Amino acid sequence: MDAVITVLLAAAAASGLTTVLAALLLLAERVLVNYGTCTIDINRGDKQLEVTGGESLLATLMGEGIFVPSACGGRGTCAYCKLTVLDGGQTLTPTEEPLLTPEEIADDVRISCQVKVRSDIAVLIPEELFRVKQYRGRVERIRDLTHDIKELRIALVEPEEIQFTPGQYIQLMAPAYGSNPEPVYRAYSMSNPPSDNRAVETIIRLVPGGICTTWVFTTLAEGDEVFFTGPYGDFSLSDSDAEMIWIAGGSGMAPFWSIVRHMKEQGIRRKCTYFFGAVHRPDLFLLDEMRRLEEELDWFTFVPALSGQGESADDGCRTGLITEVVDRDLETGSQAEAYLCGSPGMIDAAVKVLRAKGITEDRTFYDKFA
Amino acid sequence: MKRTPEDQRIVERMAPGALCAEGFLGVDGRSLGDILADDAREVESMGLTHEQIAATLEDILCAAQEALGNPVSVGEHLSAVCSDAMGPIPCPWGGCGLFAKGEVHLTDTAGGRTLCFTPLSVHLIRRHGFYQGRGGRYRLEPSELAHLLGLGVY
Repeated sequence: MDAVITVLLAAAAASGLTTVLAALLLLAERVLVNYGTCTIDINRGDKQLEVTGGESLLATLMGEGIFVPSACGGRGTCAYCKLTVLDGGQTLTPTEEPLLTPEEIADDVRISCQVKVRSDIAVLIPEELFRVKQYRGRVERIRDLTHDIKELRIALVEPEEIQFTPGQYIQLMAPAYGSNPEPVYRAYSMSNPPSDNRAVETIIRLVPGGICTTWVFTTLAEGDEVFFTGPYGDFSLSDSDAEMIWIAGGSGMAPFWSIVRHMKEQGIRRKCTYFFGAVHRPDLFLLDEMRRLEEELDWFTFVPALSGQGESADDGCRTGLITEVVDRDLETGSQAEAYLCGSPGMIDAAVKVLRAKGITEDRTFYDKFA
Repeated sequence: MKRTPEDQRIVERMAPGALCAEGFLGVDGRSLGDILADDAREVESMGLTHEQIAATLEDILCAAQEALGNPVSVGEHLSAVCSDAMGPIPCPWGGCGLFAKGEVHLTDTAGGRTLCFTPLSVHLIRRHGFYQGRGGRYRLEPSELAHLLGLGVY
């Protein structure tokens, strides 16, 4: 049946009846074709799922409670939902090819939203994804941190608790609203410590034209029901006891706000200097909280930096670009580990400074897209 | 002109709410094909190529990104400031990779005119000759853009 449909699609494309005929065939495939029960073999026999064929691998796994990260709603554009498909994935589609490196293609990596489950299929799924769950929660608090940054606290309803490592993120679902026709998921780092396990907090900066952030800023209200999946990600403290440099800006504050409180609670006393960059003074937030932590924790130093014209070095703030401040403060040959979270531009600029100071790639950890 | 299924998918990805809240076509009543053709003619009539325009915007983007949110001079009477944002956005054509969110505000400090573009705008112009639909937040009229950048012949 697959072959017949493929031939008909190709014929339709060639004959000029393209749009109508192809649409009819796709509809027929969805409505009439029955792929029956298919088996998904996970991690070479570790687990086997009996599923109804016909849907994408991403959607099928989601239906089985396995939440592979995805930001584009299965449109084959974000390339987040990569999985290794060992067998039964059919040929690579034209949508997938440009999203994969030659090495990934050679290793059978696929874009799982573009792989249809039409027969038995064997896949490899990273172990950490089995710990990801879907959560239902209720917005407990929305707090303005700056003119374009909000803190969102979601009390968990079902399940009631979450386990995560500080530095990990959730994928928050923005439902259909306004002209947004269907739900989308966006990634946000958790900012509360793991001990606060009946809620998640995150720090969200308004993205102009952003579907999810626009929803958070214009529609979402305290008391609303929300859904998210998580936890995801491997941005977390290493096991070493090396001194640390943290560099962040804007909503990049989120993972560090979680990590520093976790370290305090756990009695982790790694020396840490946290450089936080902003343009103007109103762009700074959680300043009082950071100052209190500085007083309590002898291993923690907070260095806010303002780069805007006319800003002065009051209240312990430094002036200049965050990269300039790091460059001035950090000794050449530092053996510190560096952790960064912020925009790609900030991270790229900061990494250049760190390399010049001798902080090597294996001691640099960053989260560009949290 | 008939649309292929792939053309249809591209237009669907340009709709509001598909990849970004406002979409890519604004309130433009023209088809995507007509938008592309009209803008291509306009660019050609100025003796320019999409690549020339994209390359100039890319230089401005890089300078603005390096300034980390501060205004930076990018030419005589031209100032740019980049507002970075977390997260990537894909190209509506698909298969072109991911682009940083955020936007650059380009201001003619003498005349007061401003334009706004994104890292994705640079790619859309360079690779697809797409300046987005009229009425959209990131629509760039080729003639206004060229004039502001000091490119081409009018």
